Amino acid sequence: MATQTMAEPEKVLHGQYDGERGALLRLAVVTALLTTVTLGIYRFWARTRIRRYVWSSISDGRDNFEYTGTGLEKFLGFLMAVVLLAVYLGVVQMILFYFGLTLLGEPQTPEQAMLQSVAFSITFVAVLPLIFFAQYRVRRYKLARTRWRGIRFGAEKGAWGYAFRAMGHWLLTILSLGLLLPWQTWRLERYMTDRSWYGDAPFQQGGRWTALLPAMSHIYAGLFIMIGGGMVAGLLGQPESGGAVAVLGFVWLLVGIVVYRVKAFIYLTENKILDGNIWFELHIRATPIVSTVFLGGLMVGIITVLIFGGLGAAVMFLLVPAVMLGEGAVFIAVVAIGALYLLAYAVSASLVLVWILQPIIHQVVEAVTIRNADELDYIEQRGHDTGADAEGFADALDVGGAI
Amino acid sequence: MPGVAARYFDGQSAGRHEVELVLDEVGGQLVFDGPTLGDGPHHWPFARLRTQRDQARKGGLTLMLHAATDDEAPRDPARLTLNDPGSIARLRRLCPDLDKRDLHPGTWGRIVRRGALAVAAVGLILFVILPRMADTMADLIPIEREIAFGKAVTAQLEQALGAGREDGLTCDDPAGHAALARMLVRLTEGRDLQYDLQLRVFDHEMVNAFAAPGGQVVILRGLLDEASGPDAVAAVLAHEIGHVERRDATRHALRAAGSAGILSMVLGDVTGGAFAVFLGEQLIQSSYSREAETRADQFALEMLNAARVDSAGMAEFFDHLGEMEGGGLRLPEYLASHPPSADRAEAARRNADVQGATMPALGDQDWQALKTICD
Repeated sequence: MATQTMAEPEKVLHGQYDGERGALLRLAVVTALLTTVTLGIYRFWARTRIRRYVWSSISDGRDNFEYTGTGLEKFLGFLMAVVLLAVYLGVVQMILFYFGLTLLGEPQTPEQAMLQSVAFSITFVAVLPLIFFAQYRVRRYKLARTRWRGIRFGAEKGAWGYAFRAMGHWLLTILSLGLLLPWQTWRLERYMTDRSWYGDAPFQQGGRWTALLPAMSHIYAGLFIMIGGGMVAGLLGQPESGGAVAVLGFVWLLVGIVVYRVKAFIYLTENKILDGNIWFELHIRATPIVSTVFLGGLMVGIITVLIFGGLGAAVMFLLVPAVMLGEGAVFIAVVAIGALYLLAYAVSASLVLVWILQPIIHQVVEAVTIRNADELDYIEQRGHDTGADAEGFADALDVGGAI
Repeated sequence: MPGVAARYFDGQSAGRHEVELVLDEVGGQLVFDGPTLGDGPHHWPFARLRTQRDQARKGGLTLMLHAATDDEAPRDPARLTLNDPGSIARLRRLCPDLDKRDLHPGTWGRIVRRGALAVAAVGLILFVILPRMADTMADLIPIEREIAFGKAVTAQLEQALGAGREDGLTCDDPAGHAALARMLVRLTEGRDLQYDLQLRVFDHEMVNAFAAPGGQVVILRGLLDEASGPDAVAAVLAHEIGHVERRDATRHALRAAGSAGILSMVLGDVTGGAFAVFLGEQLIQSSYSREAETRADQFALEMLNAARVDSAGMAEFFDHLGEMEGGGLRLPEYLASHPPSADRAEAARRNADVQGATMPALGDQDWQALKTICD
């Protein structure tokens, strides 16, 4: 580390997030309305605009990130993905359905009948590699369209390699009853990180997968309580108390999964190195993020109920007098209610972004410290990446979320 | 050069350049220079200045140049950020194109080509390839498997219609079944059918009948109640046998399995989209099934003629069906799964006019037994 041997004060950058709830909500509602009005076509531009806002909120206090993706390229990528997927899905679905019909015998019991209908919905397996493929493509596209200080991020090609590994790791995770989940998390993240770049500077994933094992503790605790509750219910013949314990265990398991993901994220981020000499610290604990997830979720639920309750009241308020006024008034009232419904839907669809995602991004960004940031000055530009399908596959397969 | 402080990134390295800029209104350009800039001063014409929309940070303006690059947008990679409110206001006034979105040349052509390709591919798979494959597979599938599938479908149907009734819906009055069997013999006598037909009657008030895969035919009690006589029931039965012989139900299930995911994929997952998916599915399925219904009607008329059953009963039944539909909103023809009842009644009437001597499909006693099969 040259800078340290020269005993100069090492330069440190701190993350800053400038996005605001009101501004993002307004943007999300407007774009959601436009999406509905255009029968879904505007969604590519909607996602682009929201990303532009969120990316531009992230800075080191001086220079903010920039999202340069366009709605148009997403639309074109989607059209391309549709052509390939229509052929693949249509044919594969029908062939699987055919074999579901021919291979399975006559259902004798309700269980067998159920098994047969499960076999009919096995199409999911045919789509699974494509979903992992799309996940890697999304990451590559997002990096390729992110710039900071005028320099592009980027990722190498490798979506099929990722899909292949992800399938294998999921199989191992399931066969090991979840015990090998940390191995999967670490290996897949390393696969992506080791192919990511900022300009001409490569990222590297350090650390060990075993370090993630303690982060699983709440998952084990939840499972243990759930199974224990089930045993109490089954063996001791106390279905009420046993069932209550099992439900508690299930909730514990859900919280445990969120805790694991947050802790894994923190560990993996702190063990990334850029260009061999720039590293990151994340001064945050899992608790505030986990509580943001659940309290935010609660807020989203409450606001959604209020919105649609208000909509119901508005329907009564508009329809009852309109019915008394005659047909013309009913028509106007129905149109008004339709518009209100679209607005209510657009607002409720934006709540997760505004109440959960942005607050989490806010906390994480403000907790980031970049060490040895002087070295950033020597990083050079990288070439333009076409972005391949510009996440068209992900959109067609409904992978990923709002941003 | 006295000017406003700004930050410049040359798009080549991540190194930051502190610069000073002035707005040269006479020359129509922005000029900036700084101590770390090796090749300054730089001149950026107002006409080529662009910025990004939907920015979160207030008080700053990041400028870039419109340029013919192969990037996602025609922009030069260099960036210039200034924070001076006065200069930002002046720039906004001087550069009308600041928020302009430029497209690469030939973009519209690409949109049209890709769009046409996508529409053609989806249309081809939905309307040509999937129906063909469904036809082939429906013929390939072993009959015993089809029967098994049909039994599962009928069981599901019974459960769905019965809504929790423990003893099931199947009506099992022996006299009624004997009458039904006699009607079937009358219709199918001297014919070589591919399937061993299994007739069942469900105790449900809906006026309908179904042909499940593999020869399972279900008649609902409502149909027996509303039918004008045995000839009408025989016509419906003949129609359903037509579906069975052509394997329409199997074909339909195969097609639906193929096209289900495709539409929701194309339209995305939004309220408007969900409605469009529903409409689209109606459109596709109904175009398949209207054709199948028309063929089943033809089959039924031919079968009635061979068995010398008067197709006036069929006409009466469709007339009655048309009256029952008449009250509500009618779907446009391209959305309805069946041809208009009036047309079907008319076809049956025309057939009845040229039919020659006929005999009722069942005797009075048998007809009464069939009507009370569920009691």
